[in-house]
Amino acid sequence: MQVRRILTGLAVGLLWIAGAGAAGFETRAASPAPELRAPDLAGASRTLADYRGKVVLLNFWATWCPPCQREMPSLARLRAKMAGRPLEVVAISSAETPEEVNAYLSKMKLGFPVLLDTDGSNTRRWKVFALPTTFVLDAGGRVRHVLTGPAEWDEGEALAVVESMLAKLPEPAKQTK
Amino acid sequence: MRFFRMLLPGLWLCAFAAHAGMPDYQTFPAAGPRLLLWVASERGRSEPELAAARQLAAQGVEVWSLDPANAYFLPQLPSSMDALPVRDLAAWLRAAQASGKQVTVVAVARAAVPALRAAALLGAERRSRLCVVLMHPNLYTMAEPLDAPAYLDPGNLSGLRVRVLQPRRSAATPWLPGLLDHLARHGATVSDAILENLREGYWARETPTDFEVAGSRRMAAMLLHQLDTWGCK
Repeated sequence: MQVRRILTGLAVGLLWIAGAGAAGFETRAASPAPELRAPDLAGASRTLADYRGKVVLLNFWATWCPPCQREMPSLARLRAKMAGRPLEVVAISSAETPEEVNAYLSKMKLGFPVLLDTDGSNTRRWKVFALPTTFVLDAGGRVRHVLTGPAEWDEGEALAVVESMLAKLPEPAKQTK
Repeated sequence: MRFFRMLLPGLWLCAFAAHAGMPDYQTFPAAGPRLLLWVASERGRSEPELAAARQLAAQGVEVWSLDPANAYFLPQLPSSMDALPVRDLAAWLRAAQASGKQVTVVAVARAAVPALRAAALLGAERRSRLCVVLMHPNLYTMAEPLDAPAYLDPGNLSGLRVRVLQPRRSAATPWLPGLLDHLARHGATVSDAILENLREGYWARETPTDFEVAGSRRMAAMLLHQLDTWGCK
């Protein structure tokens, strides 16, 4: 009985460790972000300047990528949870055509802007080698956290990272927008 | 306790049965003038790869198929491919060339590393007679967000003809030009082909698309087409 209890404890411990390490954010020393220049689905050109003053969660993804698909609902839930707060969730589709992205979005409503990187130039400028890769930027447009791989964005470590970034905003910016 | 006592031998038996059912090295003889050396990826060899080998042999292309991770009892990790004894592979290439057939190596994913290093060990004359097809090769030593990629040194590839087959639906596709430049800097003569609507390892995906299932069945035909259009002889 004692051995079974020890084994059960070990199993629970291993599961807890695996869960705790699931996200694995990497903190960066406020480095300037590479240039972002990409059209949205309506064809309007977007840059990081459009989101200045807000915390930005920039998610490189692709419609064919299963981990990207898995985390998309949690990004949508995060956006809904943070409604009125200075957070911008922006997904940028890596090296895909507008037709591929629109076909995916016709089945999956996201509730946040999706940009196109059809020629992969943003993917190369940001040195993205795996999908999904997500950058968390401060209100000054500097990269503060990087995550390679998926997360449950509306809970746990990911939510804590977003909240910590929002908490660092100057008081006026924290007000509901 | 009884459960755990039964579990471990059961797992060992399952692993042994799976291993015994798929030998690390298989040959598919054929009478034609071409010999294809298929080096499976670090994830091991899958049944569609063997099916493609059988189809190629039926069309006159002899295939020698190697599952290097299993052959050397290594974990199914990219780093295992870097640890393979390259001299063994070079000897394998020499043996294949001694058959008198036109030898083409097909290496998948990180298996590109030992395949290229083995080719680099060959003499210049032997290397110039070899053709190498790399399926979505992974040659990174470092690939971190916001940092320039660093590629592994494959050695001297002068005279080696390399064709990279890159599935379009891959995070590596935007980086293909850099990879080709790297191979060319080491002396290889490089070309590439994009495999549209496919993902890396499309023949062994857990949830393949209909197109990938069809692509998996057409793998032998696709390779033959690539060999013919490439014209490496």
